[in-house]
Amino acid sequence: MANIPLIEFRKVSKIYGSGEAEIRALDGVDLTIQQHEFVAIMGPSGSGKSTAMNIIGCLDVPSAGEYLFQGVATSGFGRAQLTMLRRHMLGFVFQGFNLLPRTSAIENVELPLVYRGVDAGMRRKLARDALARVGLAGRENHTTQQLSGGQQQRVAIARAIVTQPAVLLADEPTGNLDTKTSIEIMELITGLNRDQGITVIMVTHENDIAEYAKRIMRFVDGKIESDRPNPEREATHVS
Amino acid sequence: MFLETLKLALRAIRRNMLRSFLTVLGIVIGVAAVIAMVTIGNGTTAQVKSELSKLGTNMLFVRPGQFGPGRASTTARAFTDRDVEAIQTQISGLRAVSPSNRSTATAIYGGQNHSTSVTGATNDFFIAQDWDLTEGRDFLSGEERGGQAACVIGQTVKKELFGSSDPIGQQIRIGSISCPVIGILAAKGESGMGSDQDDTIVMPLKVFQRRIGGSTDISSISLSAKDGVSTSKIQADVENLLRERRKIQAGREDDFSVNDMTQLAATMTGTTTLLTGLLGAVAAVSLLVGGIGIMNIMLVSVTERTREIGIRLAIGALEGQVLTQFLVEAVTLSLLGGVTGIVLGLGLAFLGTSLMGLPFVTSPSIIFIAFAFSAAIGMVFGYFPARRAAQMNPIEALRHE
Ligand SMILES: Nc1ncnc2c1ncn2[C@@H]1O[C@H](COP(=O)(O)OP(=O)(O)OP(=O)(O)O)[C@@H](O)[C@H]1O
Ligand SMILES: [Mg+2]
Repeated sequence: MANIPLIEFRKVSKIYGSGEAEIRALDGVDLTIQQHEFVAIMGPSGSGKSTAMNIIGCLDVPSAGEYLFQGVATSGFGRAQLTMLRRHMLGFVFQGFNLLPRTSAIENVELPLVYRGVDAGMRRKLARDALARVGLAGRENHTTQQLSGGQQQRVAIARAIVTQPAVLLADEPTGNLDTKTSIEIMELITGLNRDQGITVIMVTHENDIAEYAKRIMRFVDGKIESDRPNPEREATHVS
Repeated sequence: MFLETLKLALRAIRRNMLRSFLTVLGIVIGVAAVIAMVTIGNGTTAQVKSELSKLGTNMLFVRPGQFGPGRASTTARAFTDRDVEAIQTQISGLRAVSPSNRSTATAIYGGQNHSTSVTGATNDFFIAQDWDLTEGRDFLSGEERGGQAACVIGQTVKKELFGSSDPIGQQIRIGSISCPVIGILAAKGESGMGSDQDDTIVMPLKVFQRRIGGSTDISSISLSAKDGVSTSKIQADVENLLRERRKIQAGREDDFSVNDMTQLAATMTGTTTLLTGLLGAVAAVSLLVGGIGIMNIMLVSVTERTREIGIRLAIGALEGQVLTQFLVEAVTLSLLGGVTGIVLGLGLAFLGTSLMGLPFVTSPSIIFIAFAFSAAIGMVFGYFPARRAAQMNPIEALRHE
């Protein structure tokens, strides 16, 4: 089992536009991520981090190359299969939150559970717990517009973790948070990885946030420039 | 799962109150307008029909000229006394032959004067019209043959000229003649066309021709068939007789018409059906305007909804689930708008018809059509943009501007 990677890119490219205006958001990227890993992706703006995350999260498909999930090529998957993968395996925190407008925090967090077929009582409870874990207890009934940017981000995190996904994909989860809240969120994510074995892939611009991860990748111009273990954290992990 | 989808849809409707309200309003206006207009139109038609049927089915009307839907009446020679005599003597199966002529004149009594309709007729007029006298008598044969003037007056004329005093035996002036009131007609009320039938004076035809009409013309002849005699047989006989008398060559069209009630009814209801059609057309425009309103709201909200669909797809909704939700949303709004529209439309129609004194005649087919049309618009414009969005990559839908 250990030698089948959870996530594998084989020469994955994502190309936008064509001819002169062609942009290679990803340019023949190879990468493998094992189960239970905690990976931070860094790199300058426009280097392809979000593009890679979207492909990993099955929200987008590569222009070339192959993306394998648990050793299975996703190019052979239909829309419904990709949906099932998202529904049951993946939790996504978007760079732009993507909460439903005019909808209460708790309803936003409940939504992935609705599609999983969890009954209403259970949903309430799980969503309440998830909101409490991101420090939003008491804000359950605030609508998206009534929450600050940082609070919206935390709702987005709660929505991603409420299903206990196998993989948590977080695109700049602390981008809008102050230092204190950032630390709380990172402790939460680290705990999910450590205690529940959730695989975490996280994009960040900040070095001290990246330090929470066990492995740090750097993207530059759609390619992986460096990919190294984080010695500080790696030591604590018993593989 | 369907219950969940239903709840999601209802939540989405509540969340987007203004948009939902405007959509429903569009449907309500369209449906209510069509139903109200067509129902009022139907009421008018029914009213005319029932008035006409009151006149009896064993009657024929003979008039100069041709009438009918889509043809103007042509001027043609009036009938003469000898035409009437010929009908009386040569056509069998008739109960009454009532030649008449009509004009308007001012009637004066004491200080009162009143402009009214004056009919010159014979006693057969009262039989043919099935019109009884409440007081007094009808014409004596001497009066009919043209001896002296005598008047039978309607209830309205009685009220206008005499108030509460007894008119019998009083002299009224009509134009140049002085005329004793010999009888009073029973009240008849309004005609199908809305005119007051009681506002009338009837005098012997001969007197009318000589003193008011100024000619021996007869402008119409009503015939009443005996019970059990077919009006179509009489109609054919009268037509043949009059063609002969008026010397119309074979192959040429009649310059007169003999209509029974059903034919007259067809002409009249033809006109009111046209009216209903016209009202319907006006209403169809409001339905269309309502539809365009719905379309507008739906299309404007597509951007936001596309993002919403992107979010739902990204967190694990199947295309089908998203579509079901949107379909349920559209159906709910359409139903809500449709039912409100029907209730409002029928309410308005009820109000309108009772104010105009028309019967309230609903037509299930028009209710259905109006409803189906609005519902279809709501569904099409709620559903198809959603379907397009649901078929996108989640990330495309999320990026939609
Ligand atoms: N839909 C698109 N159409 C065209 N170009 C795109 C599209 N999405 C991304 N790109 C381009 O692909 C490149 C990589 O974008 P991506 O969003 O992956 O960057 P990023 O590394 O996440 O940047 P940031 O740190 O600013 O979020 C950029 O040059 C961007 O302009
Ligand atoms: Mg990005």
